[in-house]
Amino acid sequence: MTGQTAGAAAAGAAPAVEPILDVRGVTLQYKTKEHLITATYRVDFQIFPSDRFVLLGPSGCGKSTLLKGVAGYMKPVEGEIRLKGRRIEEPGPDRVMVFQEFDQLLPWKTVRENITFALLNGGRCRAREQADEIAMTYIRKVKLLGFENTYPHMLSGGMKQRVAIARGMAMEPDILLMDEPFAALDALTRRQMQEELLGLWEDTRFTVLFVTHSIEEAVLVGSRILVLSPHPGQVKAELNAHQHSHFNLGSPEFAALQNRIHNMLFADRVLEDEIRRHD
Amino acid sequence: MTERQGHLVERPEYVRPALGRALTGDAARPLSLAARLADTDPVRKFTVLLAAIVIWEVYTRGAQVPELIFPSFDETIAALWRGLVEYDLAQQIWSSLKVLAIGYAIGLAIGAVLSFIAVSSRFGGDILGTLTAMLNPLPAIALLPLALIWFGLGAKSLIFVLLHSIVWPVALNTHTGFMSVPEPLRMVGRNYGLRNVRYVAKILIPAAFPSILAGLKLGWAFAWRTLIASELVFGAVAESGGLGWFIFASRNELDIPGAFAGLLTVILIGFLVENVIFRNIETRTVVRWGMQS
Amino acid sequence: MGNAIVNKAATNAVHAGLLLRPEFERTLLDARTIGQVERPLSFIERMWNVNGVRKAAVVLGFVVLWEAYTRIAGVPPLLFPSFSQTCVAILDAFSDHRMLSKIAFTFSSLLIGYAVGLAVAAVLVFLASISRVWGDILVTATAMFNPLPAIAILPLAMLWFGLGMFSLVFVLVHSVLWAVALNTYVGFRGVSQTQRMVGANYGLRGVPFAARILVPAALATILSGMKIGWAFAWRTLIGAELVFGATARGGGLGWHIFENSELLRTPQVFAGLFIIILIGVVVENVIFRNVETRTVQRWGMQR
Repeated sequence: MTGQTAGAAAAGAAPAVEPILDVRGVTLQYKTKEHLITATYRVDFQIFPSDRFVLLGPSGCGKSTLLKGVAGYMKPVEGEIRLKGRRIEEPGPDRVMVFQEFDQLLPWKTVRENITFALLNGGRCRAREQADEIAMTYIRKVKLLGFENTYPHMLSGGMKQRVAIARGMAMEPDILLMDEPFAALDALTRRQMQEELLGLWEDTRFTVLFVTHSIEEAVLVGSRILVLSPHPGQVKAELNAHQHSHFNLGSPEFAALQNRIHNMLFADRVLEDEIRRHD
Repeated sequence: MTERQGHLVERPEYVRPALGRALTGDAARPLSLAARLADTDPVRKFTVLLAAIVIWEVYTRGAQVPELIFPSFDETIAALWRGLVEYDLAQQIWSSLKVLAIGYAIGLAIGAVLSFIAVSSRFGGDILGTLTAMLNPLPAIALLPLALIWFGLGAKSLIFVLLHSIVWPVALNTHTGFMSVPEPLRMVGRNYGLRNVRYVAKILIPAAFPSILAGLKLGWAFAWRTLIASELVFGAVAESGGLGWFIFASRNELDIPGAFAGLLTVILIGFLVENVIFRNIETRTVVRWGMQS
Repeated sequence: MGNAIVNKAATNAVHAGLLLRPEFERTLLDARTIGQVERPLSFIERMWNVNGVRKAAVVLGFVVLWEAYTRIAGVPPLLFPSFSQTCVAILDAFSDHRMLSKIAFTFSSLLIGYAVGLAVAAVLVFLASISRVWGDILVTATAMFNPLPAIAILPLAMLWFGLGMFSLVFVLVHSVLWAVALNTYVGFRGVSQTQRMVGANYGLRGVPFAARILVPAALATILSGMKIGWAFAWRTLIGAELVFGATARGGGLGWHIFENSELLRTPQVFAGLFIIILIGVVVENVIFRNVETRTVQRWGMQR
């Protein structure tokens, strides 16, 4: 399989807009009790405004670690990450993260207070009234009107994730980071949430970096997919997916892209097993 | 701020070949022994302890603090040795621990019976709940004067008072634990035909073990404090025995290193019970079962 | 209308091992003909359901038994006074201002010791949460000093600081500090990684981070530590008053009990015990319970 490297761009295909996130040669490592794990090895990619950029790969490909690096929770051992030209050093409200776990909502705050807490503490708002207004706008956008004074423990899983997304969007970050946000939901709710996310994107055209291990979700939600292979994580390919969405879910083109990605990952895995046997 | 109504930036796709392990290195590399050791809890705690002892010794020597006010570490150890070899410190320790063990065992038994009654009927639960709510906040030491009137000086009063300090925390925590056992687990037990004592023993007790253990630890803590305080009271009333009395008597004779030695013994015993015995039980049960609350 | 079952006497067909039966549909009965589906509970049933009513009934039962036994068995009041005798003793004790001042005395020492203990614990835990070395120091110190009964160091404290309030407060702080510090530290450590990351995401660091994220998230454990701290302080105080006569001023509830027991005035001893129980019940079941209801219970965070 030959492919074009990022450098050798075809005629007229180089984009003229500046990337909003620039990841160059990033190697990420972390320690467990007994090992030093290299999660990613010299990964590069660029994200442009309004991208729905997906990090896709099997477990061990470092996609969640990469997301944490972009968020600022981890420092790269090699390489650098720049947001709008500035080096990322630590976590901050210009890159808001939506997590997978339900306990990302502060249980001691109501739905509305969870959002205003973010706005007031993240420096987006000074006055409580302004924060309240913004919170209610986004609560309406995610269709949770009527629940603004409820505590999180009384909401269903899907509703909790909607609050988390509303909270993230209300902050109007430069880039919204999502770490497998729908993984803990049941299949029906998950499909609903994916469609709602696309609807929200149509409305406000925010930039999102989305991590998933599901090929279908990547093609559905993403406009551009970075395929990562594992142990350690490296870039396998960057593919376009903006032509596909929930309106052509069953179509042959959709399935073709899914298969292409699947074969890409599966072929690598076979090769790796062979290498291990010969060690 | 992100641009609203932005447009997708199209760029060409690409595919890369994978880099081999020779280039990337192992994805998981084992840490060196030194790195792993520096991380373990016992090593770090031991280092802190050692540092504390060194500071203690250096300060008391350097500032020449009189041994009557604050003895140094080696003076304390010397007094401890003296107590064990020349005086009857060992006897006092044994006497204290014996009474404590008897009181604890009986208290545990009573607490178990009360919990069983409480869980068997709603009215039983009410009786226990009300009894505990009233008697739990009553310091056991406050009952000592009463016990002296009823049982006179001696082990009986001591055990009476110890029982009070143990039974209520144990029963209360056990009962709370029983009540919090999740409904699916209870239904499983009844599904297998377990009833009454077998049901309590095989389902409720293991399921509620974190809570029960918390109650046992609290019961021990209260009993220990009650014991020392009671020995101090007895010591004030008449010559008596026990570790608490030893500390009090040493201090009265202005044998401060002796008092410190007694305190050190109290610390050591307490440390052993809480961080060795109880920790061991925890490791073999709630930690192993992944049930740490 | 009535049931309409089609094909009652159908032959049973067998298809691939499954026993086929014919389908059927029924019309539903009018709910009004079934009778009462729900019945409201009678007044007595509802009353009995209220926790407070049942507990009050239990207490009443005990009191009646107590009074009946002491009267019938003719137990001497020296040994075990009856309920009525105890009540008289309580009223007696409050008749002059000395009982109130005794309670005030006990409580003032307790509150000061508790407050200072909490403050010191807060500082230690904050240090422990920002530095690993301080965390080790805190854990080791707690392991050493938590099992040391505060009452055991009172004789030494009185030697160092004299017989005044300071030794008492010193000892009370010791009794509160370790339990609260340990529980708070463990509570902080137990806050989920996700919630910490959310706080860091909004730019929260240091003290604001601890105050707005760690404390609310760990509140259940912190409250539990504060309850234990209260229990230890309470016991230390009563014990101290009992053994050492409340730092030579002769006040306090513990001393009241000891003094009266020496004089064999058992009804007064019972009166003192009652008041101690009452105070303890109010603090644990009213104050702490109230705090819990408004916080961890409302947030669904009770363990």
